[in-house]
Order: sequence, then structure tokens, then C-alpha cells
Amino acid sequence: MDTTGAGALIKALEDVGCEVIFGMPGGAILPAYDPLYESKIRHVLVRHEQGAGHAAQGYAQATGRVGVCMATSGPGATNLVTPLADAYMDSVPIVAITGQVSRSVIGTDAFQEADIRSITLPITKHSFQVHDPADIPRVIAEAFTLALTGRPGPVLVDLPKDVLATATTYTPPKPAAQSRPVLSPVQIRNAAQLIGSSRKPVFYVGGGVIRSGAAAELRKLAEKTRIPVVTTLMARGAFPDSHELHLGMPGMHGTVPAVAALQKADLLIALGTRFDDRVTGLLPHFAPHAAVVHADIDPAEISKNRKADVGIVGDCRDVLAALTAVVTRAPDLTGWWEYLDGLRTTYPLGYDWPADGMLAPQYVIERLSTLVGPEAIYTAGVGQHQMWAAQYVKYERPGSFINSGGAGTMGFAVPAAMGAQAGAPDRTVWAIDGDGCFQMTNQELATCAAEGIPIKVAIINNGNLGMVRQWQTLFYDGRYSNTRLGTHDRHPDFVRLAEALGCVGLRCETKSEVDGAVLEAMAVRDRPVVIDFVVGQDAQVWPMVAAGTGNDEVMAARGIRPLFDEEE
Amino acid sequence: MTRHSLSLLLRNEPGALARIVVLFSSRGVDVESLSLGPAERGDLSRLDVVVDLQPGRTPAQLIKQLGRIVDVKSVVDRTHDEAIELGA
Ligand SMILES: Cc1ncc(C[n+]2csc(CCOP(=O)(O)OP(=O)(O)O)c2C)c(N)n1
Ligand SMILES: [Mg+2]
Repeated sequence: MDTTGAGALIKALEDVGCEVIFGMPGGAILPAYDPLYESKIRHVLVRHEQGAGHAAQGYAQATGRVGVCMATSGPGATNLVTPLADAYMDSVPIVAITGQVSRSVIGTDAFQEADIRSITLPITKHSFQVHDPADIPRVIAEAFTLALTGRPGPVLVDLPKDVLATATTYTPPKPAAQSRPVLSPVQIRNAAQLIGSSRKPVFYVGGGVIRSGAAAELRKLAEKTRIPVVTTLMARGAFPDSHELHLGMPGMHGTVPAVAALQKADLLIALGTRFDDRVTGLLPHFAPHAAVVHADIDPAEISKNRKADVGIVGDCRDVLAALTAVVTRAPDLTGWWEYLDGLRTTYPLGYDWPADGMLAPQYVIERLSTLVGPEAIYTAGVGQHQMWAAQYVKYERPGSFINSGGAGTMGFAVPAAMGAQAGAPDRTVWAIDGDGCFQMTNQELATCAAEGIPIKVAIINNGNLGMVRQWQTLFYDGRYSNTRLGTHDRHPDFVRLAEALGCVGLRCETKSEVDGAVLEAMAVRDRPVVIDFVVGQDAQVWPMVAAGTGNDEVMAARGIRPLFDEEE
Repeated sequence: MTRHSLSLLLRNEPGALARIVVLFSSRGVDVESLSLGPAERGDLSRLDVVVDLQPGRTPAQLIKQLGRIVDVKSVVDRTHDEAIELGA
């Protein structure tokens, strides 16, 4: 087929199954937008390239397919840096396509030239700059394969303008060989042996279990062995919250039973997780009595932060299936469960109502979860509302909670919800956002309104950069330096802002209005909806392991240290 | 700090060397010496590098991180002349 580099790009994207691109045109990428005009690929015109990148992430996590974003050279490309970093940290498969200045002027500080490949070297899995239009189909196919296989991640494809404009013939790319690591039977046997002889084992489940689609296999092995399960922030939904074996989320704001299970365990079965500091607290104090079985598709993660006694390189689905086949003897866990159940009863998740009579943010999220249910997709920004979304929404299925874990990127929720909704049009998508985060990326609501992407946004408006304020309360003597946003004084007025962006805007300030507001939002189907939940500014996220301390010092509430004080 | 001598085979692709050097700098690896030359196979280059690792960081870890780079074909630890080969 005779075409141009640009034509080959769009044809190649069609051939690898891309159905939607989030992007914004500009000089260097403009040739690509011409064949896109008549392509079957949907293009969602964002208002800021950061939104395109997070939308690609939301799409990828809602569908399990590669998300695609596109931007022009220079500032268009640099606006993608934050989502690329975010996708790298959370192993999200996205492909970013950037325009570049023409080959003849690369390296001359030409107009809108930025060396985006070099800028993104440490935050991409791989990157290409194409110099021959005939290579475009192969590069696109490789980029998709690389993004999705092994440990998923972001891949950048940089296309000089003249390469896009040059005539070429299109040759369909050969499907790339996809290989999965072969499991070591010895390591599987060793792991099974440790499981069989353990007395206090726990499944420490990370986002890799979701990426590999291993939730069903996890459930099978957990039910076979009756071993307790904890799911990290990135793994919420990998195991049903309603399941009796589930102790909830571990880590800095984890449940007391989940934190205790890791601390008191004699065996951690770590699956697709990377012993992140938000989970382990002070490493030398983390799970001091536990042997470690660590399975991950990325060999570089095994023994990175905590030495593994048995390391298994492999896809979590394969690992779980193999373990289920060889684990014959379920350990006797009576005493272990007695201890954990005791903690579950004594330290359930809970919250106080604000003393000033304002709405409790946790209540809002709890009601939202109950009314909306587990079939929806929830996204979150970063801060207190994110932790409450992790704690108080009840997740039952993988892929139902999409948030920025490793990078902690404020402004993630709205564009990620947009991408998730584009990929899963039949699901309800709720962005649980902060009043600070919302102001970083709410421009994408105009995109949603114009494109018919009817997401719903619950702003947890606590008037402040709440998470930072919480630290100021706890660690800086209540000196609230630069954390008040003015959002309780309607700077801005979120209802009017929502309406100006083409959404329905609702406000809710009292407990009795919460259900009505959520139900009203659920009834709107033709437009995005924003609810401004005005909540108290002093609510705090508990439990908490203060940064720089060990997990044994987990506080169920301020000053209450259940593990530290207990007698063994 | 512990000193290690590594030998890499990498594909002659633009950006391959940059990716390796950036990995050293972002992971806090001190480079003592570095030399790049053609390998026997024309489409590959050989990189010999001596690095210092911070306390607590192991050469095995660094080798695995280098092995993740798409254009790195193999990494060998030559510190004790006993080779740990990692296929890529
Ligand atoms: C881009 C970015 N800038 C700064 C931060 C630091 N930070 C973490 S949480 C937070 C407060 C977020 O405020 P808001 O969105 O209102 O959420 P809340 O904690 O109040 O629920 C800030 C500033 C960040 N994570 N990301
Ligand atoms: Mg806030």
C-alpha cells in the first residue's frame, strides 16, 4: 500500500487494535492528524497533554489493553512527562506518540524542539525515534508488545515531522513473539514447602496480580489454604473485600489487622509487589520474623528491598496456578486466625464525626460505595480522599480502583476517569477527587462534556491540601503553612465551575443530603456530573504508620498503638 | 562502596548507551571507568565498565536492572572472573 509515514502510523495503530487515542495536535505531529481524520480510531481531543497521558493510563487499567496518547513536539511532549513517570512507577502499559522537529534540524534548537527521548529516559521502559518511514509499522507493533509484556510500562515513539510526511509503502508488521518466563519447578516446590510448614503465613498481594489477571487463581489458592490476604493500594480489588480471608490494605494507612498480619507473620507470600516503603515502613523493622517467598515478573524486584528466601520469576497467574497444583497440605492456622480475628474485632476501620458539625468525608465515601456498588470503576487523586477511597469503597473486582500509587500524582483522578470511561462505556465511572487535585486537571471535564464521556466526580472538599495539613497537625505543631485552599469560601465555586465546563454541578453539605446527591448524580446519563461535598477540614486518615517509623508503631488512632503496647 | 567490573553487550541502537548511563546516575551508581567498542558481531557493541556501589546495593541487583534495558543483550560480572551470565 502506498502511503506516507503518517498514513503508515495510523494504519499500524489500527492493525495493532488501537481504538482510541487521547491527544492534541500541533506543528510537528500535524501530518499524523490528516489520516486520523478518516480513521476508525476515535481521537479524544484533550485540553492539556497531561490529561491525555492520564487518560491513556485510565483506559489501560480499565481495559487491560495498551492506552495511547499523542502530542506534538516540545511543550506538547514535555506535558506528557508526568503521566509517563506515573505509568513507569505503577507499571501501566501506555504508548506515547510524539511529534519531533524534522531530521535535518534535530539538535539545532529548532522551534518547539525538545529532546523528549533523553528527557524521559529514566521514566520509560523503552523509546524509539524513527528515521525511516518504512520502519513505522514495525516500531508501533514493537512498542505495543513492549508496553504490555513482561512488567508493563510506558513506551515512547518519537516521530520527526519529515518522516511522517515522506512517501512510503505500508507493510503490515509481523506479530511479535510474546514469551512468558518459564517457572522454576525447584522454586515452586521450595515455596510450597515453606507454605506447608508455616504457622503464620500471609498473602501480600500487589498490583502485579491485577496486571497479570490472576485474581481468580489467587482466590483459588487462598481458599484452598485458608491463608489470610492483604491487598496493597495498587491491588485493591484483586481479592474481594467481602471475603472472610481478606484483612484489607496494609501500609502507612492500612488496617490494623493487615499491618499486624505482615508484622507477626512467619511467612510472606509476596505476589507482584515491590516492598514499597509506604507498605514496609522502616525496612529493618518490617515483618521481622517472616521468611519471604517473592514472585514477580521482573527479576530486578526480587530481593531489591527485602531479601527473598525463595524468589520466583514469573507471571503471577502462572505462579499461583503452579502453587495451587503442588500445595497439598494446608497449614494449621487456628491460632493465627484467632489472633487476627481478635484484631479485626477490636480495631475495625472507623472514624469520628467532625466536632464542628460538618460532614464526615469517610461517610460520604462509604455511602457512595454502598449506593454505586462494586460494578463501577473508581479513580482517585492523591491525598486524604485517596486513602479514604482505598479504605471505605468496597472493591470486589480487579480493575475497579485506578489511582496513582507510586508517583502520587495530584490531578490523576479526572483524566484517568475519562480514559476509563472511554474504554468501558457501559460502566459507571466515579472520580473521587480532592479539592486541591481537582484544580490541577478539571479542564478535562470540558473534554468529557464535548465528547460525550459522562464521568461522575465526587469532590471531597475539605478546604485544604488535607493530607499535607494532617502532617502539619501531627508533626509541625499545627502550623498550617500554605495548605488552606480557600475552597470553603468558594474560591472557586465548584458548582458553577462544573456548570461552566458543561457538567451538572451539585452541592452537598449535610449528612441528610448525601444519598440524595449521589442518587441525583446517578440519574444523569447525558453529561458529566460534579458533586461538591463540603466536608470538615480536620478529619484525619487513620490508622497511620508515621513516616520513618516501623510498622509495629501503627496507630489505630492518635496515640493508640495496638501492636507496640501488646504483650505477646 | 564496593567495586565491580561489568561487561555488557548492547545493540547498536541510538540511545542504548544513554539509557545505561542514565540508569547508573538515577540509581546512584558511581562510574569509575567506562569503555565502549565494537563487538565481534557487527550489530552489537561491547561496554566495559567499572562501578562503585553504595552500601547495601548488590551487583546482582544492578545486573538485573541493566538486563531490563531492551537494547542490552547480556551483562557479565567480571569482578572475580567468575561470570554470572544473564540472557536478555
Ligand atoms: C503534583 C503534586 N504536587 C504536590 C503533591 C504533594 N501533595 C500530596 S497530597 C497533597 C494535598 C492534596 O490536596 P487535595 O487534593 O485537596 O486532597 P486532600 O488531601 O485534601 O484529600 C499534596 C499537595 C503531590 N502529591 N502531587
Ligand atoms: Mg482537600
